[in-house]
Amino acid sequence: MSTSRESFEGGVFHESIPNGRAGATISIARGELVADTTGEPSQRFTIPLSQCKLDLGGASGRMVFCRTSDGSLTIFCEDRNFAKELDFQSGGVFASQLQALKKGQRAEASRFHFWLAVSAVALAALLILGYYSILGAAKVAIRALPVSVDQTIGNTAFNSMDVGRKLDSNHPASKLVEEIVDKLKPHAKIPDMKFKVTVVEGKDINAFALPGGQIVVYTALIKEAKSAEQIAGVLAHEMSHATLRHGIERIGQSIGVIAAIQLLVGDVGGLLALGGQVAQTSILTSYSRTAETEADLEGVRMLHAAKIDPQAMAEFFKMLEEKMGDLPDAVAWISTHPQHETRVENINNHKKTLESIEYEPLKLDLKAAQDAL
Amino acid sequence: MQVDIRNRPSFANLLVQFQPGDRIIAEAGAMATMSSNVEMKTRLNGGFFGALARRFLGSESIFINEFSASSAGEMVLTQAFPGDMVCTELRGNTLFLQPGAFIACEPGVRLALGWAGIRSWIAGEGLFRLKLSGNGRLWFGAYGAIFDREITGEHIVDSGHLVAYEPSISINVGMAGGIFTSFFSGEGLITRVRGQGKIYMQSRSFDGLAAWTNAHLW
Repeated sequence: MSTSRESFEGGVFHESIPNGRAGATISIARGELVADTTGEPSQRFTIPLSQCKLDLGGASGRMVFCRTSDGSLTIFCEDRNFAKELDFQSGGVFASQLQALKKGQRAEASRFHFWLAVSAVALAALLILGYYSILGAAKVAIRALPVSVDQTIGNTAFNSMDVGRKLDSNHPASKLVEEIVDKLKPHAKIPDMKFKVTVVEGKDINAFALPGGQIVVYTALIKEAKSAEQIAGVLAHEMSHATLRHGIERIGQSIGVIAAIQLLVGDVGGLLALGGQVAQTSILTSYSRTAETEADLEGVRMLHAAKIDPQAMAEFFKMLEEKMGDLPDAVAWISTHPQHETRVENINNHKKTLESIEYEPLKLDLKAAQDAL
Repeated sequence: MQVDIRNRPSFANLLVQFQPGDRIIAEAGAMATMSSNVEMKTRLNGGFFGALARRFLGSESIFINEFSASSAGEMVLTQAFPGDMVCTELRGNTLFLQPGAFIACEPGVRLALGWAGIRSWIAGEGLFRLKLSGNGRLWFGAYGAIFDREITGEHIVDSGHLVAYEPSISINVGMAGGIFTSFFSGEGLITRVRGQGKIYMQSRSFDGLAAWTNAHLW
């Protein structure tokens, strides 16, 4: 047997060393594993290779331990080449032992990775479940609130908003929209909801509803409308948002999400402060697509009940689609609303399910209102 | 240089008594008081990036302080939380410390940050660990009392209680029992240490303190 060409950094455990352990320089010579401790004075320890019991492990998982049969002396080394050298010097005796140890380690590692993956999936499922149950709970809780809460929040939001210049309530355009709202009001899902419509100067073809029945219509929408029925279509849609309580539901959900996050993170202090801020942003940002579709269908029902042809609502969306191309301001509106095509289709499909009645044209002077703008 | 650990175990601190020419390296911010003739030199903890890594990954300071004295003097070193401290001497061997445990060492000891792995992280011991090697004495602290144990084979430590261990020890995460036991015994995950060598444990854990505090916040 030969002497190893190199020496390795490692260590020794033996009771004769102070503290029982020391770093050592390890070499293999004449069939013996030799370790010289690095401390002063250096001590030499040897284990004949034939008596060496191997083990594999350590923090890195690749430390090779060589023990005497009684376990009193252990020489260990982490060097990658040590195992190879050990095997070479012993004439291949250790190869199968090392293989078996490595195999055991690999099996354990794959078990660990399996459980790691299972735990990660379970944790993700738990988080998702928690998120949706909080959203669901928020929705139920919100539905239980009286409508007066919607009105308080809507009015507060409306008063604190800078919507632009409001038209006088005696203005022909204001009178026009008010008359339409009066016609639709008796057919609203929540009969005693106090609707209030305000016409505001603005270049966007837009209208929005706040919780509790505050509705804002921009002058551009009135200008672009081809008939009073089209305006009625938009107003029915916006009134439906209020009666379906989409605004307050959104606030509830947003707070719910934040509550969920805070529950996960563990800090509840900022919850109230955030609640106020979220109320404002969630009113101003648009409703979800589901909410839009719901409002479309409820709007069609209201129009039908008020004997106004719901076709006008579909017409208006069709017109918007054609207009939107050169109206960059309205991009936000498009992106959050369902595709006009599908909307028109939905409206028409829903209309077909209603019993066919004789629709009455609105006796309102749209031209006069438009001229006054 | 004589170093004594005083006021053990609750509020342990190090009294360092310098002889002319003595030097000691300490965690930044550990010095509580010192003689006016003790000189302090601050340097980066390893190279710049090494120091940054140790700060952000291993919860150690970017800077470490080297104290020296040309004449006799003394100094007191402390840690941020209540608990014991221990001294151990490296003789060419290596010791891994959990983040934040390091307090001081003699100049012959090298400090390096090592990747501890996902298992260590799940066990509540951090993704990284401080590796101390070389020759010389070192002092580290813990939250609560410190006790050590020579391991041969396998031993179980609750997560968050392991402070230091030797590289000849492997760390594995396990459940305290079956799924039911693990969830409802309050033990949850445990750390299985295996191999031959010494481990140091602390009698309290920061997670335990945090959980206790949380329970009293409502």
